[in-house]
Amino acid sequence: MSRAAALAGFRVTFSTMLRKPEVIGYPERKTPVFPRFRGRHRLWTHENGLEKCVGCSLCVAACPADCIRVVAEENTPERRVSAGERFAHIYEINMLRCIFCGYCELACPFDAITLEAEYEMSERERHAEIYTKEMLLAPHPKPVPVRAEEPDAE
Amino acid sequence: MSDYAPVNLSAPDQIEFELNRRRLAAPAGTMLVDAAYAHGVEVPVFCYEPRLGGPIGACRMCLVHVEGMRGLQTACSTQVQPDMVVRSDTDEVRDAHDGVLELLLANHPLDCPVCDKGGECPLQDRTFKFGPGKTQFVEHKRHFPKPLDLSSLIALDRERCITCFRCVRFSQEVAEDGHLIMRERGGDSEIATFTGDHYTGRFTGNVIDLCPVGALTSVPYRFVARPWDIKNTPSVCGHCPVGCNLELTEHEGHVARVTGRPNPNYSVEEGWLCDKARFAYPEDRAPDRVRQPLIRDAAATREVAIEEAVEAAALLLGRDGPHAFLLGPGATVEEGFLAQELASGPCRGALVAQLGLGDAPALAGLRAAPAAQLDDIDRADLVVLVGGDPANQQPVVELRIRKAVRGGGRLVSAGPRRHPLSGLGPSYITPPGRLLDGVRAAGPAFRAARRPLVLWDEADLAHEPAAAAELAGLLGATRGARQLELGADVNGAGLSALGIPGAADLVAALEQGTITTLLTIHAQPAESAGAARWAEALGRVGAVVALASHGGGIADSAAVVLPAATHREQEGVYVSMAKRAQRLRPGAAPPGGAAPGWELLIALAHRLGAAPAYRSPAATFAAAAAARPALAGLSYDVIGELGALLHAAPPATTNGAVGGGGADGTGLPLVTTLRIFGDAAAHRSDALSGVRQGAEVVLGAGEAERRGLAGAAQVRLQSPHGACTLPLRVDPRCPDGAVHATLGVPGAGVERLLAVDRSPVRVEVTAA
Ligand code: SF4
Ligand code: SF4
Ligand code: FES
Repeated sequence: MSRAAALAGFRVTFSTMLRKPEVIGYPERKTPVFPRFRGRHRLWTHENGLEKCVGCSLCVAACPADCIRVVAEENTPERRVSAGERFAHIYEINMLRCIFCGYCELACPFDAITLEAEYEMSERERHAEIYTKEMLLAPHPKPVPVRAEEPDAE
Repeated sequence: MSDYAPVNLSAPDQIEFELNRRRLAAPAGTMLVDAAYAHGVEVPVFCYEPRLGGPIGACRMCLVHVEGMRGLQTACSTQVQPDMVVRSDTDEVRDAHDGVLELLLANHPLDCPVCDKGGECPLQDRTFKFGPGKTQFVEHKRHFPKPLDLSSLIALDRERCITCFRCVRFSQEVAEDGHLIMRERGGDSEIATFTGDHYTGRFTGNVIDLCPVGALTSVPYRFVARPWDIKNTPSVCGHCPVGCNLELTEHEGHVARVTGRPNPNYSVEEGWLCDKARFAYPEDRAPDRVRQPLIRDAAATREVAIEEAVEAAALLLGRDGPHAFLLGPGATVEEGFLAQELASGPCRGALVAQLGLGDAPALAGLRAAPAAQLDDIDRADLVVLVGGDPANQQPVVELRIRKAVRGGGRLVSAGPRRHPLSGLGPSYITPPGRLLDGVRAAGPAFRAARRPLVLWDEADLAHEPAAAAELAGLLGATRGARQLELGADVNGAGLSALGIPGAADLVAALEQGTITTLLTIHAQPAESAGAARWAEALGRVGAVVALASHGGGIADSAAVVLPAATHREQEGVYVSMAKRAQRLRPGAAPPGGAAPGWELLIALAHRLGAAPAYRSPAATFAAAAAARPALAGLSYDVIGELGALLHAAPPATTNGAVGGGGADGTGLPLVTTLRIFGDAAAHRSDALSGVRQGAEVVLGAGEAERRGLAGAAQVRLQSPHGACTLPLRVDPRCPDGAVHATLGVPGAGVERLLAVDRSPVRVEVTAA
């Protein structure tokens, strides 16, 4: 191996050697994720407070990991939960099984469910990984910053 | 539902025609849509439903191009003609399909995500397959408040209706109740009942299956599951001996819906179900369901593990006999055979009997006459209905009889009660014991007919040997005449094929106190005919082991309760009243610690040290078929999806109703009636709570007057066997000379008035 080739090989080494190291103090600070990152789910409500989810189970049908369970019930004048005829009485996602493919988001005809930026979902007990409707309707307690745009957006 | 009529492509007179450049053949008279479908070409339809009568051409979905005819033709109302040239794949036809679907969807709300039909909806499927990708309509769709309760069982969403008239035609032309109508015209059209009241009847649920959109949906199933969350299993109904083929929908571990089969069995139910079959399934999860094995002693009742319960039952049955095994009418052939095997093996000498009617000698002649299947009723030019009340006891038979009469056949009925079919033709109401007069009155019409068919009621004729003999004589003397038995017990024919007799000897043995242990299998003796005598006799038995799916009755006092699967939860064979062996397939697993009866009986045999060689229902049935000539040649494979006929007659047994004697007791002869929504299943199912029927006593106006009961609200009936008190209804149309009382209603106690063999009785009626 010639000397020149060896030096060329070390070019990256030498050029980064003197730069200040970039260490992010996780978990106090988090790297911003890209906007299309698929993390923990969120269920959404309309401005008037009604849930967008109508309990149609299309997400259940789309889910390849079979980790969503929806039990629907009928809205009544006394108890109106969603904008449609029915609502999700139970909405559960088993986060241990979820593969974060985002198919549920694609399947949902009402944009009721989306995958958000949050990724800190470890729990001390397995059953705590079954996220209920109440949990999914509320913002995640551990927010994650999102980068402004895609890396190579045109 | 299958939308196309079955086509017999091997019938003799086939017509050749051309479809999409293929030379094809179909029998003369076949509709184009059916011929195409039989050859694998789907011409989409919505309003066409051959079971509802002639085509009406309401939806225009089935347009095809027929060479030489101007414009496109509706294939549902065009018959194949020799050398007809048809195209269903031209651009013009495709364009027409697009256009029709676009119009059908113009007012159709796109609320598929919240619609129970979504995912199994013909409109959805056909729009996907034949429709346009987008619509040109930007106008507002029509809106109605929704949903309306068409009844306590059916929800109506008028926005979704595509006015195909299927439901209306069912109500007008199949059930002939005349309730459903299309109100208003054009864009305002809506489905409603004529009176504005709820749609009530015995067959209303069929419109749910018929509706090609989500306009008519099931209330008990509303929002319960989506089509991708369920599993459908073809099975048969266990509520009456007709043996309708149906489909069980499983969701989250239990049966959540019952529907007609997508491919109907045209020899049995033709795809129709009665509302009891369709809506009784919640009884599987009723509060009184037995979910865990129980052991009961003087001190307490304990829930135990199944092994412990089987062990306890085996200890009781391992003692010195004699023992007795009593099978309820809903026990399967496998359960009956396993009981017989126990009685010939470890429990040698045990009496095996069925709670049903068993074999009545009076009926042998009738049963030997040429037998018919249900679809033969359609083709009969005369239907003679002797005894019974098919509308309430074998409901789907009613639809067949109506179809025969619509097709030009005549109906003559004779029997002790007025029933919903009496009005369809001449009807002779005879007092109990005098059915012979009715049969004689029907004789001339019978001899004049070319294809007469006799429907005779097992329970009524078992005690009228003279009428049965006369009828058998008529059948023998008339060429082409056939008979079909209206059975009394769900699997009575199956248990009789095994040679299991009626229970007269068994109850006598119980009374003598010689029976050590009684094992009941789906049997509720103290709620069956002769209830009073049974209750007395059960007090003298050493111990009772009850294999039961629901509590109450014997399950509340048995020493050991083995929790059993219901007919919707287990595998087995039922033999219908037309002697058709059909397979039950489990729609879901039984709840909790419950298990199928065959499994419990095999476990019991193991514990008793007589392990049978078979461990599955299929193998059990194979053993039964090998051992019992009446079942010869049958197996689960032979029975298949649509059932197989028994060819050999069942062995003659003793102990059935003897008949011929006069009625016991004094007072008025008693006529018992059954009501479709009056039995234990209907009373347990919360879905049927809105239509459930209670028990009553009915007297003719003259009779009530004569006995000074016209104003009485309650009456007491007293027979030599027992007594009961029930509300009285005075009905001017009810024939005098008898008192009518409703049998089978839980807790009403009419069973107490009867003898164990259901022989005729007279009762004293007094104000209570
Ligand atoms: S989240 Fe969307 S797809 Fe899932 S049940 Fe709710 S409305 Fe349907
Ligand atoms: S309710 Fe259903 S079955 Fe009746 S006309 Fe409308 S679409 Fe047809
Ligand atoms: S199916 Fe032919 S017109 Fe409706």
